[in-house]
Amino acid sequence: MPDPSLFRLRVTFCKQGRLALLSHLELARALERAVRRARLPFAVSQGFSPHMKIAFGAALPVGVGGTRELFDLQMTRYVSPERALEALQAASVPDLMVKSCEYIDSHALAASAAFPVSAYRALLSCAPAQLAVPEGVMVIRKKKEKVLRVAEFLVGDMELTGATLAFSLESKPTGSLRPDVLLAACCAQANGDEEDRPLALFVENAEPTLIDADACGPDNPLRVITITRIGQRPVR
Amino acid sequence: MIDLWPRLEPLLADAERPARYLNHEYGCVYKPDADFHFCMVYPDTYELGQANQALRILVNVVNAQDGMAAERAFLPAPALCDTLRAEGLPLFSIESCAPVAQFDVVGITLPHELAATNVLETLDLAGISLHASKRDEGDPFVVAGGPCAYNPEPYAPFFDAFSIGEGEEALPEGLALIKRMRSQGALRADILRALARMPGWYVPSFYRWRSEDEAQDGGSWIEPVEEGLPTVIEKRLFTKFAESPGWEPCIVPFTEVVHDRLNVEILRGCARGCRFCQAGMMYRPVRERSADNVVESVVAGLAATGYDEVSLTSLSSTDHSQIADILTRLNRSCDGKGVRISVPSQRLDAFGVDMAELVAGQKKGGLTFAPEAGTQRLRDVINKNVTEDDLFDALDAAFAAGWRRCKLYFMIGLPTETDDDIKGIASLAQRAYDRMKAATPPDQRGGLRLSVSCALFVPKAQTPFQWDGQITPEEALRRVQLLRRSVKYKAVDVHWHDSATSFVEAVMSRAGREAAAWVEAAWRRGARFDAWSECFNEEAWHTAADEVGIDLEAIAQTSYPSTRVMPWAHVSTGVSERFLARERSRAEAGRTTPDCTFGACSACGVCQALDADNELAQPREASGSNAGGGAVAPARRCEEAPDA
Repeated sequence: MPDPSLFRLRVTFCKQGRLALLSHLELARALERAVRRARLPFAVSQGFSPHMKIAFGAALPVGVGGTRELFDLQMTRYVSPERALEALQAASVPDLMVKSCEYIDSHALAASAAFPVSAYRALLSCAPAQLAVPEGVMVIRKKKEKVLRVAEFLVGDMELTGATLAFSLESKPTGSLRPDVLLAACCAQANGDEEDRPLALFVENAEPTLIDADACGPDNPLRVITITRIGQRPVR
Repeated sequence: MIDLWPRLEPLLADAERPARYLNHEYGCVYKPDADFHFCMVYPDTYELGQANQALRILVNVVNAQDGMAAERAFLPAPALCDTLRAEGLPLFSIESCAPVAQFDVVGITLPHELAATNVLETLDLAGISLHASKRDEGDPFVVAGGPCAYNPEPYAPFFDAFSIGEGEEALPEGLALIKRMRSQGALRADILRALARMPGWYVPSFYRWRSEDEAQDGGSWIEPVEEGLPTVIEKRLFTKFAESPGWEPCIVPFTEVVHDRLNVEILRGCARGCRFCQAGMMYRPVRERSADNVVESVVAGLAATGYDEVSLTSLSSTDHSQIADILTRLNRSCDGKGVRISVPSQRLDAFGVDMAELVAGQKKGGLTFAPEAGTQRLRDVINKNVTEDDLFDALDAAFAAGWRRCKLYFMIGLPTETDDDIKGIASLAQRAYDRMKAATPPDQRGGLRLSVSCALFVPKAQTPFQWDGQITPEEALRRVQLLRRSVKYKAVDVHWHDSATSFVEAVMSRAGREAAAWVEAAWRRGARFDAWSECFNEEAWHTAADEVGIDLEAIAQTSYPSTRVMPWAHVSTGVSERFLARERSRAEAGRTTPDCTFGACSACGVCQALDADNELAQPREASGSNAGGGAVAPARRCEEAPDA
């Protein structure tokens, strides 16, 4: 049998619409099942509990979508990327649709490690005149409160264009700042709320009809409509 | 129908595991153009309900009808139930996210005795009147089915009708009647009147509930209020089960559900005849799908769903006459694909070396066996028909094949149980542990575990033990403590299932129509999700009993002579009352009754009542302590055996 590491397929897919509400674990299971339905010649691990050799890119929080998410699949033999794509698309649901397939070097970094910087785009409910970035964000890690310094994770500025916000976050070996948590803190600060309120995302609002052209104000508090990861890249 | 999604969506980002409420799973069917809508409800959360096979089967059969659409609905998790109420949102279906109250017919399955308050939670959250008598012309028909429909009375006021038995044919027939009559503008009462005359349908509002004396004198608790209604409602049997394909489309959920795998039902019914077992009485006769059918179904199902595990389901899968052939062929076709094949419900006497090898190529989790009782005497009383040697042989085979953990199930409080039987559980468990140890290489003995799981015996309607009372929770506790004291080995853990829930189960299993008011009062006092130990609200149930004046202890704990007319006497599984009484007296005498799929007819009456037969793929061969007679031809049409 040829060395299965020779056939390492990198697959991109979207996570969108209401399926943005899937957890990383649910997403992984759904995609693994799509690979099986597509009848690709996937490799299986040896040992006590054999599993498909599939590796996923960096996790997205529940509620956050992605336009170009990644997984790597080890195969036991060559299938043309076009055929693999066709088979995967036929086995996928529309909001978790496979977009592209290509073979990558067997020594390339894993999808989860190769692209620590994620670019996000958020649609907001109204257009704030400006958006101050909080200095620190309180998170709970292992039942303990911890303040993350935003500057450690934010790459470049948060760019506000009307009601659209673009920003990039870098995940560190020590941890990462979730985009939804950062935006909840931004909203709380903008609205003058005492505490962060969990976001109410309108994940399926593809045409952002909820966006109010008016400026934010006391009667028109800032909320987040959707958050989408639009790209992942290496640290420059 | 209204689409509630825009109002539901903003609530989901904050809900636990929102994937339960999303729809859009792979394989779900959406028929928005149908002019008749059926909503199939499992009265618990998605994780439990989506795995339910009845739900899958019934949604499929209804969707297969022209002009009919079936959708699913589940109770949201308790926190989201409260949020929906606070936001003024009703219970919604999955596919259309439409209010459940807007469907033409709402079907609720009754999977176990602790789902009763969730039925009321479902109706209330849906905004449907709890009482069938209060529903108007525009309201949906609310129908029930499932195991607990075999004693429908504690639920009677809440449902317009009950479907008794297997629903593959009965449900579409009932729905077609409702659809036709509704389109002709018939009145609700007239539709129900017609439904009450269809085979397998019980419409409680057409029957007066009698007093104790009337019932015992008249031989039935119910009395039709008009001419032409059946006095006994016989269960429906899906006669084409064996030849029907074991693969039918199924939904692949996003979130992890219980039994999250491909389920292929390989046989239906079990005639082992355990005297406490309701399933063993109500799914007769035994029908096997052939090895060809099963293997094709598994291969097709795995390809269509992408699951990496398949379970060969039934009440007793190792009893299938071709199980070895099935497993050999499946092992071959799934080799190298990382697919697990699991066989639940393994019988002790059928788990030999060959079976251990056939399921050995895979990850070895815990192995579970159910001796049910600690002594041979008591196992004979309950007609379990397994011996200590069956257990020891099974353990030898399993531990030699690599298993390292085992769980044994027992019941406490079975009829005629004495302290010796309790001590017998401890003795059996310790000797079982010795066997496990002996079959395991010395360097691997450190990880050996044996757990003994005990639950309080619940007398079930429609079984030979239906007349036997449950022991009191205090006595149960004494016996469990005796068991705990009797187990000396540290590697043997004893687990005890809380008896407070078993007590409610016993009441629900044995009560008549008077219990409905109690269920309603308990729900009004906050009882819901009773099957979840963290939600079970014992106080609500007891206070509710005081409020409505019902004697729970009498219902759960009284033992009666076998001549007593029980509150479900008008609902028939096909098994005759005479058989149940005869089995009970044989139990008292410690006499066993063999399984008719391995030998002679035991005259339970099902085949005559339902004009059916056991359908085996090939003759069965008994194994373990039940081996001996060799293979016998499958029992032909049962003949009434002389009374023992």
